[in-house]
Amino acid sequence: MSLLLFTIRDPAALSTLSRHQWNLLLRESRSQRLCARLSWIIEDRGQAAVCPPGVWPDLSAQRFFSEYKQAQIRLELRKLQKALGPLGIPIMLLKGAAYVHAGLRVARGRDFADLDIMLPRERLEGAETALERGNWICETKNRYDQRYYRRWTHELPPLHHRTRSLEVDVHHALLPLTGRLRPDPALIWAAGRQLRDAPYVVPCPEDLLLHAAAQVFQDGEIAGQLGGLLDLHQLIGELGTEPGFWDRLLPRAEALQLCRPLYYGLRFTRSMLDTKIPAEILRAAQAHGPGALSNRVMGLLVPRVLEPRYPIRRPARAAAWMLYLRAHWLRMPPGLLILHLFRKALRGGKD
Amino acid sequence: MNAASRHPARIAARQAPGNGVRYRHGPFGIQVDTPLQELRQLLAWCYGPPARGDDSDIPRFHVRVIHGPLYRRPLFPQALFKADADTPFAPFPRSHAFPLLEWGLNWCIATRAHQYLMLHAGVLERDGHALILPAVPGSGKSTLTAALALSGWRLLSDEFGLLDWRGGLLWPLPRAIPLKNRSIPVIRAFSPKAELGPTFPKTRKGDVAHLRPPEDSRRRQHEPARPGWIVFPRFVAGNPLVLTSLRHSTAFTRLSQNAFNYRLLGATGFDALQGLTRTCRCWSAQFGDLDAMVSALERLPHPQT
Repeated sequence: MSLLLFTIRDPAALSTLSRHQWNLLLRESRSQRLCARLSWIIEDRGQAAVCPPGVWPDLSAQRFFSEYKQAQIRLELRKLQKALGPLGIPIMLLKGAAYVHAGLRVARGRDFADLDIMLPRERLEGAETALERGNWICETKNRYDQRYYRRWTHELPPLHHRTRSLEVDVHHALLPLTGRLRPDPALIWAAGRQLRDAPYVVPCPEDLLLHAAAQVFQDGEIAGQLGGLLDLHQLIGELGTEPGFWDRLLPRAEALQLCRPLYYGLRFTRSMLDTKIPAEILRAAQAHGPGALSNRVMGLLVPRVLEPRYPIRRPARAAAWMLYLRAHWLRMPPGLLILHLFRKALRGGKD
Repeated sequence: MNAASRHPARIAARQAPGNGVRYRHGPFGIQVDTPLQELRQLLAWCYGPPARGDDSDIPRFHVRVIHGPLYRRPLFPQALFKADADTPFAPFPRSHAFPLLEWGLNWCIATRAHQYLMLHAGVLERDGHALILPAVPGSGKSTLTAALALSGWRLLSDEFGLLDWRGGLLWPLPRAIPLKNRSIPVIRAFSPKAELGPTFPKTRKGDVAHLRPPEDSRRRQHEPARPGWIVFPRFVAGNPLVLTSLRHSTAFTRLSQNAFNYRLLGATGFDALQGLTRTCRCWSAQFGDLDAMVSALERLPHPQT
């Protein structure tokens, strides 16, 4: 097993690693960009002292990136609130931004690629005008991409402010409009929780977990998403202690049509990261698994692309490619998919 | 449990140190895997024989310099730098593998070593006090650092002033000093002791030749130094020497714009820089003559202790 998975499963076993294994662990963590999160896992279990000389300062110094990004996210949100607040448009925080503002431990050391927010669909046009007036600009110049985002996806083309670099993704739904699963945003808004110390809404705990699972197993290519799986692992550890969380989770997943991604999320966190999940929940979730063949294929492919292979093995390109096709398959109907992949192939990976 | 554990022999083969060499640069252990014989020879010329590849030290940076694409090998062979899974630069001509490796290591350090506030500065030490020479490219920093290293100062580093923000000390990183274009003959003329490596023509920074770090600096590369003076040098051809005392606040502002990771470190960087500028005496210096500048720096008033 990869040493990074080994460590996440049982941080207390760090003291048994040889120098050579430590070296491999660091190289795996660096290639997965999980050094800062590893440093928090180590610290939470009081294992900082067992790190060989020089390792702990190096690992913990990688937290600065995450802290810097979190500061950027807080700043950007204040600016967005200034632009949208006067119009009475509520802002719901998604993913990383929600973890940060809800004060969840999963945010510590986490990498934030961009800022994800959700706005009510019927207020989208007004919001877009307000953001344009506030000097947020659209990064996508390509006309096909513009149309692609607007007609078929769950978000506007990525924006960023003229004087700041942080990318803002404005969602109006959790998953693409053309996808197989379409959770109703109205339900998520209705269950959302107003933050006490900031003028934003965050999804309720069940929705946070369900969205994180959908992110990895429904809307994502899975490959390279070990960070996403770690999100699930840590969210389960943290939210699972809320009273009634496990009783509400499956009914909620059914209401949002997110049973399948939840099933995968529970299955693979359990098998790869040894996440503590109540046995009856695991059993109940199994009813939402795919057919026997798909289930076996996923069981083969997913660990291949999630488990760190660098530096010992070659990347699992074939498995990653199959899961890439699967992600697109789930994202849009076949006809549209063929046209879309055809256009992307013609462009040959440019812009 | 999986394919890897079923094939221990395969793992062992891929992990074999074989063509890897280990070096120690100040606080960082470095492993360089490369099939390029010339590169290993230059490394040995510059930094001495590699450390024994035992498991006692965990390399902070694990880098590779490998052959570029096969089809280019017969006529225009290339070298490619890899830091773990990253490839930060486009390939270089193979004959430029050494500058490629040096720049690659700079990239590794600048993007990762945040347990230090990293100043873009030459740092030298004399009688226990460190002289910090922060500068923008083209200001003659490397030339001045090289000249001082050849005049009795201990070289701590040329590119990175590693300020430990916990303890306020500067840590050595004595590596080759890359001299560019006209600095190469200037340093050759400055001291007969100067040991320069081969000149690499037409790199992205022009012609580059590396000054080998003095033996004494390498030997004392684990001895930090207390900051004493900060001098912002600027070479202006033909100008007489002008030393201007700087206010702490001015030095602070200029240093904050010069550090690699000042913004990233946030409040930590602010505190570290404030501590640094408060304990140092600060000047800016314009010079047109290297010898005059070196002797002026030797006469700097002793820092308060």
